[in-house]
Amino acid sequence: MGSASDDTSLLARIKADAPGAFDEFVERFGGRIYAFGMKFCGEREDAKDVLQDTLIQAYKSLRGLDRPEALTSWLYRVAANACLMKRRKGKFEPERELSLEDLMPKPGERVGTEIPDPSALPHDDAVRAETAARVRKAIGDLPPAYRIVLVMRDMEQLTTQEVADALGLEIPAVKMRLHRARLMVRKSLEAEFATDARPKDRS
Amino acid sequence: MSGRHVHGGPECKALFAKLSEYMDGELDPTACASVDDHMADCERCREFLESLRRAVAHVNTTDVPGLPENLKRDIVSAYERARSSS
Repeated sequence: MGSASDDTSLLARIKADAPGAFDEFVERFGGRIYAFGMKFCGEREDAKDVLQDTLIQAYKSLRGLDRPEALTSWLYRVAANACLMKRRKGKFEPERELSLEDLMPKPGERVGTEIPDPSALPHDDAVRAETAARVRKAIGDLPPAYRIVLVMRDMEQLTTQEVADALGLEIPAVKMRLHRARLMVRKSLEAEFATDARPKDRS
Repeated sequence: MSGRHVHGGPECKALFAKLSEYMDGELDPTACASVDDHMADCERCREFLESLRRAVAHVNTTDVPGLPENLKRDIVSAYERARSSS
């Protein structure tokens, strides 16, 4: 999200509430926070709210942050809370972690034959748009506690440690949720793409 | 490779739990070598791993719309107004 020296300088300007500091803060982080909100929530209006809530809350609270090197995790923590508040359909913490057994293919079930290789997709806008819609749906269907970890690790490319810091989880919990989230996305995409392989009814 | 391995046993189940760490290069060398050995001998696990890799690659490459310029301007203007009136 910016070099450490840039972050140190910006943080000093924010603490002093220098003119233009908020503008610079939005310029530096706004795009990434908005994209994060889009990836998690899937809707522009929600992403907009996440961005506004995060920027205002973060800007006020950043004055109390002493370690510029913690800025990235810290911002993601605020943004993740804004995302989860936006999508509070159920409790964030799962009642129990999903069982691996449920995500393993059943005996005799075909695997690995349906999901196309993304690097080998045809240069056809309609196919690519349809594929992207399926992927977004698979991500959107994940329970929030798993989706937030997947978005941070596999879309925002944060490290396991950064995700653990941002979400207040232990590293094994981050790894476990990431693995289950990936397995759920795989299962969902496998089922989606399998429908293409079936003969279509002709009307 | 030997064809003696039958997919679905405890070895496959134990490996199933480690696939993400294996993909991310987070396993220690001994555990990694043991997954390599298993993969060489179990076609179903290889296929499953490939489908998981593809699913993750799709997630990696999913794009979202960028931040609209007018939204950025609105947020900054709103803050500046609140700041000057306080």
